Amino acid sequence: MQQIFDDIRGDFRYDHELNGCLNCGICTATCPSAQFYDYSPREIVQLLWTENVEQIYDAMQEKIWACAQCMTCAARCPFKNSPGGLVAIMREVAIKHEMQSAKDVLRPFGRVMLKLITTGNQLSPDMIQPDHFPDWGPNIQKVEGDLRILRKAIPVKTLQTVETAWEVSLKTSVEMYTIWEMTGVLKSLELMDENLFDVIEDFIDEKREDYEEWLEEQEEDDGA
Amino acid sequence: MSDHTPGNHNQTAQGAGPGTMKPGFHNTDGQGIAGHGSFFQATDLAREDAIKATDWVRKHVDRRTIDLGDRMDDAREHMYELEKDGQIIIHRIGEQHEPVTVKTLFGWDKQIPTKQLWHHKSCGQCGNIPGYPTSLLWLMNGFGFVPGKDYLDETDQTSCTAWNYHGSGIGNVESLAAVFLRNFHQAYVSGKQHGHELGHFFPLVHCGTSFGNYKEIRKYLIESAELREKVTKILGKLGRLVDGKLVIPEEIIHYSEWVHVMRNRIASELQTIDVSNIRTTAHVACHYYKMVHEDAIYDPDVLGGNRTAIITSTAKALGAQVIDYSTWYDCCGFGFRHIISEREFTRSFTMDRKIRVVREEANADVLLTNDTGCVTTMDKNQWIGKAHEQNFQVPIMAEVQFAALACGADPLKIVQLQWHASPCEDLVEKMGISWSEAKKHFQAYLKEVEAGNIEYLYNPELAYGGKV
Repeated sequence: MQQIFDDIRGDFRYDHELNGCLNCGICTATCPSAQFYDYSPREIVQLLWTENVEQIYDAMQEKIWACAQCMTCAARCPFKNSPGGLVAIMREVAIKHEMQSAKDVLRPFGRVMLKLITTGNQLSPDMIQPDHFPDWGPNIQKVEGDLRILRKAIPVKTLQTVETAWEVSLKTSVEMYTIWEMTGVLKSLELMDENLFDVIEDFIDEKREDYEEWLEEQEEDDGA
Repeated sequence: MSDHTPGNHNQTAQGAGPGTMKPGFHNTDGQGIAGHGSFFQATDLAREDAIKATDWVRKHVDRRTIDLGDRMDDAREHMYELEKDGQIIIHRIGEQHEPVTVKTLFGWDKQIPTKQLWHHKSCGQCGNIPGYPTSLLWLMNGFGFVPGKDYLDETDQTSCTAWNYHGSGIGNVESLAAVFLRNFHQAYVSGKQHGHELGHFFPLVHCGTSFGNYKEIRKYLIESAELREKVTKILGKLGRLVDGKLVIPEEIIHYSEWVHVMRNRIASELQTIDVSNIRTTAHVACHYYKMVHEDAIYDPDVLGGNRTAIITSTAKALGAQVIDYSTWYDCCGFGFRHIISEREFTRSFTMDRKIRVVREEANADVLLTNDTGCVTTMDKNQWIGKAHEQNFQVPIMAEVQFAALACGADPLKIVQLQWHASPCEDLVEKMGISWSEAKKHFQAYLKEVEAGNIEYLYNPELAYGGKV
């Protein structure tokens, strides 16, 4: 428990985000999540400010996942605190410590993580379909038709895609995979969801092979 | 009758209640002015001086133009120092970018380049609201901008990936910083393949979250030598250093800032439709003006400078009615993770705090916003509201889509309103555009698309790095 708090406090953003607290409550008064969940940005600041290690641990079981990351709290705070920024640190630490709450909360988010980590885009046209969002209604598009053709009708070539928001070049994707590896993003993913990690790793390997092949073809073309 | 002239409180003892100050004396009940304590004393300013002082406060503090230089660091100043030390290269805005200078929240100057722009797309926007980038490119073409010279849209970019950071915590500052520097290095060198100098194209960020995230990350990069060292290794491995240095843009520019500084030209040179009968409301993305808020544009001529200027300024310039509503400051309820896995929160918040209010208070014809997440949230969650007797509907679109409509853009082929779930048809008809005719033409066009006859806003080869 103490290690969890030390990891939060040791983050280099910590001093940016926590400067003191007047307990004025304006952060909670303007917080959207505070209206719907048992969540208060003021409570987060107070817990960290007073170093209440046990209650910090409790808050990480559920409360921190309620934050909508809108940063209204940060814009309002007279002390220039950022409760939303503190939540971001706490979420990362929850993942680092493989907390069950993080695994449970992030499971339904897996499809977005898969899309992001493999393509560098997050929301693609094939995800925004009535099957995935029945509560968006039967008429989430005003013109019926094949998704592929509707996308082709967008007069910008880079957007005529279905599985990504825009076409991302192979080289760009491969560079991004290097970033994921070197910054520990893939490691965090492995801690959270091993099955998803395996799927993503296979995908990355395949794309890297495609890129190597493409480079070889380019060299051959240049040689000819 | 009481006198409400500034500085005239408690000028007479009569009428002064408990806790108020009697002229020329410390108060006797120990409460001071408004309960602040007996050590508070009246200023005894002359009436003229009191008016002068109050006017100064109104002008400088209420309008948020107070000079906070001593209290608040300007990240750009530190960037210039790092550049002087030979640590980074600043991608500068030059005369060739034809910048317009605007004021930010703290009265600081910010240059907005109007030309030679590298379109940094938004993954939510392009996937879900494609009419928002197409409207932007269409307006640029309307000004005679030459693709490949005045703007570039290419495939060599990822999203900022901050959705994952805010939604899950899987991303981290180091990964965000590396993605930021990688994408903006590409913007810096992208002109080379078209025969231009380094730095020819300046990045124009389409997404509100990317805009906020990049500014936040830029701040961390400038303040943390350790972070710079870590990402320099990564960028070096990617071959994305220039002379061994990181490239950081002088300003982070959001597309709505481009629309803001171009609004009068849009209205005078491109507008063809009178929109004075349209009641507009504005929702500005949280990540535009609540993250690194000192950088958001404020203009004393737009809502008295009490709110960020963008969107409202454009609606005003186009001649539309601008109607205020009480929950303007509230977020839309997107929440990153929430719109995917806690949809009852997102739906409840957007219906209760935004859609219902702009309908009941403002009777709005349209709610204009400037971010992909906001358009998605407020557009898609209206239908399910009916299940909870929240039968309120309002068309939702980006202000650049509204501007394009006002300039005569086709509502389906260009503004791509067919992807919106909210009732855009009535708004379009109210603007004097026939939705049914547009739909008929578009359906005929889909047959052409199927046959491979596709129309483009510019030479599509440019998207893949081809020559102009």
